[in-house]
Amino acid sequence: MSRAATQSGTNLGRASTPYLLILPAILFSFWIIGYPIYDLAGMSLRQVNRFGLTAGFNDFNNYSRLFSHQLFIGCLIRTLVWTVCVVGGTVILSVPIALILNEKFYGRQLARVIIMLPWAVSLTMMGIVWRWSLNGQSGMVNATLYQFGLLKAPIEWLATAGTAFPILIGVGILVSVPFTVTVFLGGLSSLPSDIFEAAKIDGADGWQRFRHLTMPLLRPFLNLVLVLNFIYVFNSFPLIWVMTQGDPANSTDILVTWLYKLAFRYGELGMASALSVVMFLILLALTITYAMLAMRNERST
Amino acid sequence: MVKTGTRRVLSLLAGAAVLIGATSASDAATVRVVLGYYSAATQGLFEEMAKDFNSKHPGDEVKIEVIQWDNLQQRLTTDIAGGTAPDISMIGTRWLLDYVKNDIAEPMDTYVTPEFKAGFIDAFLAPSTLDGKLYGLPIAASARAMYYNKDLLAKAGVNEPPTNWDGVVDTAKKIKALGGDSYGFALQGKEIETDAYWYYSLWTHGGEIIKDGKSGVASPEAVAALTLYKSMIDDGLTEPDPTGLNRQDIERLFKQGRVGMILTGPWLRGQIKTDAPTLNYAIAPIPEGTTKATYGVTDTLMVFKSSPNKELAMKFLMETVFTPEWRIKFSKAEGFLPVMKEEAKAFADDPQLTAFTDMLAYAHFAPAVANWEQMSDAIIAALQKTYTGQAKPEDALKEAAGTIDGLAQ
Repeated sequence: MSRAATQSGTNLGRASTPYLLILPAILFSFWIIGYPIYDLAGMSLRQVNRFGLTAGFNDFNNYSRLFSHQLFIGCLIRTLVWTVCVVGGTVILSVPIALILNEKFYGRQLARVIIMLPWAVSLTMMGIVWRWSLNGQSGMVNATLYQFGLLKAPIEWLATAGTAFPILIGVGILVSVPFTVTVFLGGLSSLPSDIFEAAKIDGADGWQRFRHLTMPLLRPFLNLVLVLNFIYVFNSFPLIWVMTQGDPANSTDILVTWLYKLAFRYGELGMASALSVVMFLILLALTITYAMLAMRNERST
Repeated sequence: MVKTGTRRVLSLLAGAAVLIGATSASDAATVRVVLGYYSAATQGLFEEMAKDFNSKHPGDEVKIEVIQWDNLQQRLTTDIAGGTAPDISMIGTRWLLDYVKNDIAEPMDTYVTPEFKAGFIDAFLAPSTLDGKLYGLPIAASARAMYYNKDLLAKAGVNEPPTNWDGVVDTAKKIKALGGDSYGFALQGKEIETDAYWYYSLWTHGGEIIKDGKSGVASPEAVAALTLYKSMIDDGLTEPDPTGLNRQDIERLFKQGRVGMILTGPWLRGQIKTDAPTLNYAIAPIPEGTTKATYGVTDTLMVFKSSPNKELAMKFLMETVFTPEWRIKFSKAEGFLPVMKEEAKAFADDPQLTAFTDMLAYAHFAPAVANWEQMSDAIIAALQKTYTGQAKPEDALKEAAGTIDGLAQ
């Protein structure tokens, strides 16, 4: 397109050109992202046999069976507890870790590497290692406790929900910290140093600087971390699957592990697709709500 | 660099030439076989079989693929849904009903000769026969028995293995009295076959999982069977917190010499041979309650209805896999029970194996019902609730029975 042509275009034309240019890309993304969801939604409304062959509509039977299933509410509540605890714990731990790693001290590079290491290991391997460590008869955890004389009889850490679920949450936090710290570190290094200097000169102490400068400036990064971690942890499958498979008696099952059992162990593909749609809607609603709240906050500050 | 580059190009060209050659050769067929992983020997063993078959049928090809059992059902489900099912697959025989109901398994009666069929041990062929039609051939079979640690029992003053549950409890008490970190009776409480470990007790108490299309897991016999296990946990006769241990965990305890008695299958013999060769153990029947019983399990090779090479697939099974020569090699390498009469002769003088085969007359198999996996998970949940003390045996089993009856409709 020649320069003359652009110049002679109307204001409206000029405004719509960029949209026209990205339109193919947008349509393409909608198709790539949207089609599987559309397909899934269609499947959740139909009768599906265990090998994925669909028959006609079945009056929301998949959904009514899902909502009336005795495990649904329990799994939903555990999923929320799991997500809130892991995401909350991760953020609470990651902020101070990022602040410390942002300071200049001897061995900082090494400390950064150590914090990042769990990220480099696949979640499945993490699960397997922890499962070994927590084995009541031959695990490293009990062996250590024996050595310090803190244990008389073996404890099977993963044998009851009372110990297994908090441990799963702990490991979940451990593996989510690296990503979160990285985002915060990126945020911290982008903060302008002059306003901190100014605050120091004005006599603001460390806590005041953290409370009134660091945290507000980190807000966008905090938002990013919360939304991404929420989605990621909510759908996180490998840790729980490897360590307990939702045992004992479904007491550590969250929605996504139950979803796997429904789909591939029980062949209830209709119910499983309905559950996927429900999970998708929950996450969509939460993300939109959160994005709106965050945007309103940002505008008001 | 340049050298390896040219070499790569050359080998690619060679590969392409082979491909062109293969596609232009007329009516050459490929049979894709998907197998479950039994041991490190599985892949090699079947590839040898394929090689043997290929050499007798030049032009045709058998391709072997081995997959972990945990992923097998998922893999087949997605393959079938996507229209890329293999020609032959190994499946747990208890899955077969679902495949038959959905018209995925090919009936074999028109392919097999009566003599070939008669070569199998009847007890193992029966689970693959549905509505009088043969849908699969048993590839691996096992029954269960009781392994006991001779040294540990002798130390506790017991010289003969217990034959009934009272004897098991009594022996376990004596082992507990020895002190130390040994346990009388191993009890499995999580993951695969947690339910099977309880069926031993259920069946020997005269109970049934499914009776006349209804759940039998809340019957008085079933409650007695579970109450027995629960009381053994409470009395400290098993390892603490069984819900933390799966089948491998308790087998490891036995191999370490820390368990007096364990109920499991013939594969443990092979493991002991390599992992704990000095362990002084022997094998006895499953302890009796009011009756004798054991758990018979078979895995099946089935042919897919969608396969374009059904004839050839059946030929591979009949001419290679299920010949005495290959069957003996298979059973020796994997440690399962013989499924063919001819093959059984080769193992007739193995006294440990006869401990298993002698029990076949009392063997129960998993019921051939739809939704079986979901039912057995309901039973496992009931067992775990009881073992952890969350529920009384009777209440937990009633809940499971309700779930099973709901699924059976």
